[in-house]
Amino acid sequence: MAANQETAAAVKNVEQYKYGFVTDIESDMAPKGLSEDIVRFISAKKGEPEWMLEWRLKAYRYWLTLADEEPTWAKLIYPKIDYQASYYYAAPKQKLASMDEVDPKLLETYKKLGIPLAEQAILAGVAVDAVFDSVSVATTYKKKLEEMGVIFKPISEAVHSHPELVKKYLGSVVPYTDNFYATLNCAVFTDGSFVYIPKGLRCPMELSTYFRINEKNTGQFERTLIVADEGSYVSYLEGCTAPQRDENQLHAAVVELIALDDAEIKYSTVQNWYPGDADGRGGIYNFVTKRGACRGKNSKIMWTQVETGSAITWKYPSCILQGDNSVGEFYSVAITNNRQQADTGTKMIHLGANTRSKIISKGISAGHADNTYRGLVRIGAKADKSRNYTQCDSLLIGDKCGAHTVPYIESRNPSAVTEHEATTSKISDDQLFYCLQRGMTQEEAVSLIVNGFCKEVLQTLPMEFAVEAQKLVSISLEGSVG
Amino acid sequence: MKPSLITDHPFGEAYAKHLGVAPWRGDLPGPKVEEWRFTPLRSLAKIAFAPASEDVDVDAIPRNVPRIPGAVRLVLVNGVYRQDLSGTGLGKGVEVFQGKVAAKQGSSLVALNAAYAPASLALHVTAAAKKVIHIISIGAAGSQPTAFHPRINVTAEPGSAITLVESHVGLPGETYFSNPVATIAVGEGASVRRYVSVDEDSEAFHLATSLVTVAGGGNYEAFHLGLGGALTRQEIRIALTGENANVRLNGAYALRGASHHDFTTVMDHAMPHCTSSQVFKGVVDGESHGVYQGRIHVARLAQKTDARQEHKALFLSRGPAIDCKPELEIYADDVQCAHGAATGEIDENHMFYLESRGIDPETARALLVEGFLADAVNEISVEAVRDQFVADIGNWLKRRGAQ
Repeated sequence: MAANQETAAAVKNVEQYKYGFVTDIESDMAPKGLSEDIVRFISAKKGEPEWMLEWRLKAYRYWLTLADEEPTWAKLIYPKIDYQASYYYAAPKQKLASMDEVDPKLLETYKKLGIPLAEQAILAGVAVDAVFDSVSVATTYKKKLEEMGVIFKPISEAVHSHPELVKKYLGSVVPYTDNFYATLNCAVFTDGSFVYIPKGLRCPMELSTYFRINEKNTGQFERTLIVADEGSYVSYLEGCTAPQRDENQLHAAVVELIALDDAEIKYSTVQNWYPGDADGRGGIYNFVTKRGACRGKNSKIMWTQVETGSAITWKYPSCILQGDNSVGEFYSVAITNNRQQADTGTKMIHLGANTRSKIISKGISAGHADNTYRGLVRIGAKADKSRNYTQCDSLLIGDKCGAHTVPYIESRNPSAVTEHEATTSKISDDQLFYCLQRGMTQEEAVSLIVNGFCKEVLQTLPMEFAVEAQKLVSISLEGSVG
Repeated sequence: MKPSLITDHPFGEAYAKHLGVAPWRGDLPGPKVEEWRFTPLRSLAKIAFAPASEDVDVDAIPRNVPRIPGAVRLVLVNGVYRQDLSGTGLGKGVEVFQGKVAAKQGSSLVALNAAYAPASLALHVTAAAKKVIHIISIGAAGSQPTAFHPRINVTAEPGSAITLVESHVGLPGETYFSNPVATIAVGEGASVRRYVSVDEDSEAFHLATSLVTVAGGGNYEAFHLGLGGALTRQEIRIALTGENANVRLNGAYALRGASHHDFTTVMDHAMPHCTSSQVFKGVVDGESHGVYQGRIHVARLAQKTDARQEHKALFLSRGPAIDCKPELEIYADDVQCAHGAATGEIDENHMFYLESRGIDPETARALLVEGFLADAVNEISVEAVRDQFVADIGNWLKRRGAQ
């Protein structure tokens, strides 16, 4: 109940996007546009080895051939993106050795966001690899993790310190030829996290990266790679907020997860980038490719996402269940309000025997928004005794929004069982009446009911994220009722 | 990404010249067209189809045509209405005539039909018709691959009622391609029941389109059965255009060998207070491929809609494939919409239960398959038709046993 009171308070307090401000830090920017020179510039800025540059260039050249392959199948409407009008590199100027040297302005920003970096690291026991724009500026808890053999560092550093791991796994789940946006990311990605959990280790703390888009007109192209070696476990959190502005920003991240025998990866995301104003001006364009490979037997990958932000969301965190007995899970809450559009879901590709997957998706649409679940469950011919369960529920708030469900089920194995259920409805009048006659306001009641609707997903989040997510759910629906 | 089209097909100039009509300028949908992603038409387009002959000798109606007691038979051979083979005495409330084919815009296949259909078999229903009308479409290819384009047009005036049975069968011979289009207009408060069975020759292609409109207070009940053919698609598009319209659309398929069967449905709720329900069931054996893609579209205006959809498919062996895409597209908030989909095989426990009671495995399996499909077949509200369809499925299962 405490959390719900907070929710109600948050709804009252927040009049507009809470995290809308721009921090003024002089940026080291690449010229506008995209060319082979820009790719070389980014690579040079990072002091990357030759093989890395070659990989980027290979991707860039391939991307040029994809001019007509920009995905149009999603239920999203937006003006054509001019990829030459964006900046592809921006980094805070100073290189920092420790937390003490972090620009106070930066730390200030985090404070405004309600995530005091230092404090959080100590109090919450979370090691934070903060990405401010494109370069990681502060890495904490490094030493402690290092002692245990965990590698948790910006991918730009990992390229130098662990080239054999990066070479082996980078692009092995999402190859550079995967799709238009992933290919673009391969060519111009600036930074992101690299995580390696050694054999048999249960990572004792939740690893976390806060992304933040700051420089005007900067596309963000993170690249995250997480490898869980045999018998290991890791929980990774990703959360993001962005300043308010009018121009649309392009974001095309790639996340690759690899779980070897008996390993487990839990990946949680809370995404509340600037969604644009009530009339649909501004907001982030979010085209993300996230995919995990359960390579080993008995491995498990679990995606949880709370998507409340961005003007456009195009995101399908997927699992390739290669190892026998491997498990893939996908829990999603996607909320769209005003003019937001989200086309999100998952893919579960069952290849190994006895593989299991579970999909729980909750879509909430309000205002003039459109919210689409798009998912694929594919059972390969060798995936004996595999199992899938999918549940997609949509909630419509108001009569000007849309909720859509587009599941694909492709089964090639007789002994596999797939189940899919979906419902669409509005908030029940009975529930609303019950709350109102007990003295709650309309907004409090709606936020309570919606939080209940999402509970199944929210409870899979780590504690500190769950609280933030509950607040977000109510904030996102601000102004949609009454 | 541009949807790829199959431009190299046999229905162009040469085909039209044969018939002495203006050629169809369209293209067949390619695999990149979303609605055709599970049903490729490449193999169809490669066959050099010629227009089917209009006067073929047909001595007897093929045996796999269901016998509906008391029904009046109307026979089409290669898409042409054959009075000599058809029954008479339609009774009051319904007229049959050969109508024009409206050059209506629609999908490629509807346009292809419009370009080459000789005439339509038109039914004009003015009151509650007593007799069941049984339309039989026979494909008779002869010595070379042929194509034909049956057109059926049903107009049910306000307050009228009719029961239609439609059978699509073929005579042994060369490959043929049947491209039927049925347009059905259910008037205000009218009631149309339509039971379609497709049991084409095992080498045949059958790509059917049903375009149905249901006006306010109208009732449309349909059942589609798919039992045979090399490549069969039954595309059913229904628009509920008036308030309080009610649609029940159900279907079943049973496939073996290399058969491919595709059910594509679009339920378009344009007006408030309408209901629709769909139950589709399928069993697949051999190397067959079952497809169900169903879309429910609820327009902004269509408040208080209740729309449901279900597809379940059962594997009978290792080798077949099932693809399913139940889709909801909803723009109104005060609605109840749901869909369910499932695939799997026969439950071992159920088999054990029957076998432990002395039933041999083949019979037990047949019982379970019949029971599985019965959920859909039992939705047929006309008993005679239901019995006949159940018998057809029973025969299909027997054929399996004989293999």
